[in-house]
Amino acid sequence: MRVITAFIAITTGVLILGGYFFPALADVQTLLLNWAIILAGAAALVGIFNLISVHTDKIRRGEKGSTYSALLVIGLVATFTIGILLRPQHSAMQIVLSGIIIPAEAALMGVLTISLLYAAIRLLRRRTDMMGIVFLVTAALLFLGSATMRSGDIPLIGTLIRPWVSQILALGGARGILIGVALGTLTTGIRVLFGVDRPYGGQ
Amino acid sequence: MTFSPDLIIGVISFIFTILIFSYLIGDNPLFRIAVYLFVGVSAGYVAAIAVWQVLIPRLGYPLWFGSLNEKIFAAVPLLGVLFIFMKASSRLSGVARMTMAFLVGAGAAVILAGAVIGTLIPQVEATINFFDLNAAASRNIGFMEAIGNGSIVLAGTIFSLVYFHFGASPKADGSMRRPKVIEIIAWVGRIFIGITLGAIFAGVYAAALTALIERISSLINFFKLFGNF
Repeated sequence: MRVITAFIAITTGVLILGGYFFPALADVQTLLLNWAIILAGAAALVGIFNLISVHTDKIRRGEKGSTYSALLVIGLVATFTIGILLRPQHSAMQIVLSGIIIPAEAALMGVLTISLLYAAIRLLRRRTDMMGIVFLVTAALLFLGSATMRSGDIPLIGTLIRPWVSQILALGGARGILIGVALGTLTTGIRVLFGVDRPYGGQ
Repeated sequence: MTFSPDLIIGVISFIFTILIFSYLIGDNPLFRIAVYLFVGVSAGYVAAIAVWQVLIPRLGYPLWFGSLNEKIFAAVPLLGVLFIFMKASSRLSGVARMTMAFLVGAGAAVILAGAVIGTLIPQVEATINFFDLNAAASRNIGFMEAIGNGSIVLAGTIFSLVYFHFGASPKADGSMRRPKVIEIIAWVGRIFIGITLGAIFAGVYAAALTALIERISSLINFFKLFGNF
């Protein structure tokens, strides 16, 4: 089984990767990516089924917070049933999207304002080293610089410092982080394609 | 009495906003009710989308209405879907490994190509382009400004990358330390990373503040709407 799974992973990876560089493999790449999209959709359903089973287990055992789990399962099953029966474009599903999902996301994002402010204050109190100070001073400068007064941008901070810090100084660090992430991704991808890492099972 | 969808949306979103904002006075049952319901409803919505926008058009239609060729090509992912559903059973989950191997192989290839074509090459090119004096001149940027800005971005990129170099050699006292030059460059890199993270923090904070203002505005509008009744 280990050899078969490694063979499937490596062959799939090489064929899809080959499609980016050899036009002859483009059709094979499209077909394999279509299969991958279908399987990813099925995997998402399995993940959601797992979420239901975890919470139904909590309800069955009467664990602490099982009432919340019951609400989660009821919400999930009800939305899924309505979605399957009426399709996602139906007005009932639009009510779910615009009445629950989007406002809840926006409200959670709004709560983040207070959490982030609190985290920044804690950082200033607990870690007053060079990195912490640079971090907070930059954040404060950029935030102040993006504020607009009645007369326009704040002189100097809004017109000169903010663009220079965000477009030159921060850009350098961002590029370093992005290139570092890309190199890490590249290494991980190559390890999977060479069969060194097998996250699908097997040593 | 009929309720318009807008009114229903307004009432539900008002309730959810209030429940979630109750977190500002501390973690409480109302906040938890809202969050658990939100997670359940979102998961149900995603599942419905996965069925109607992925599984039915890409797998269902070819199997039911496609030509013989399309049916044969759809049979392979159908087998994969059946295998992956076996993951739900602890006894049969081993069979799902083959499908997982396929997904991991496909994912590795896509992220590998994405990292090279989508990040590495464009980022390196963009860093080089800072030194393109003709392009700078066409944007009314002087020679010194172009070279100066380009050098700072280049230095920031290299120093930040060096910060993530953790190769160290053992010292006489047995401790592991990076070479002195690397230590100094990494220290400067830390400053650049601090500035970048500060800029990201400011961006995220501005976005969060915008969402907060939008929610408060929707609450006010809701009260105004009921004030008119």
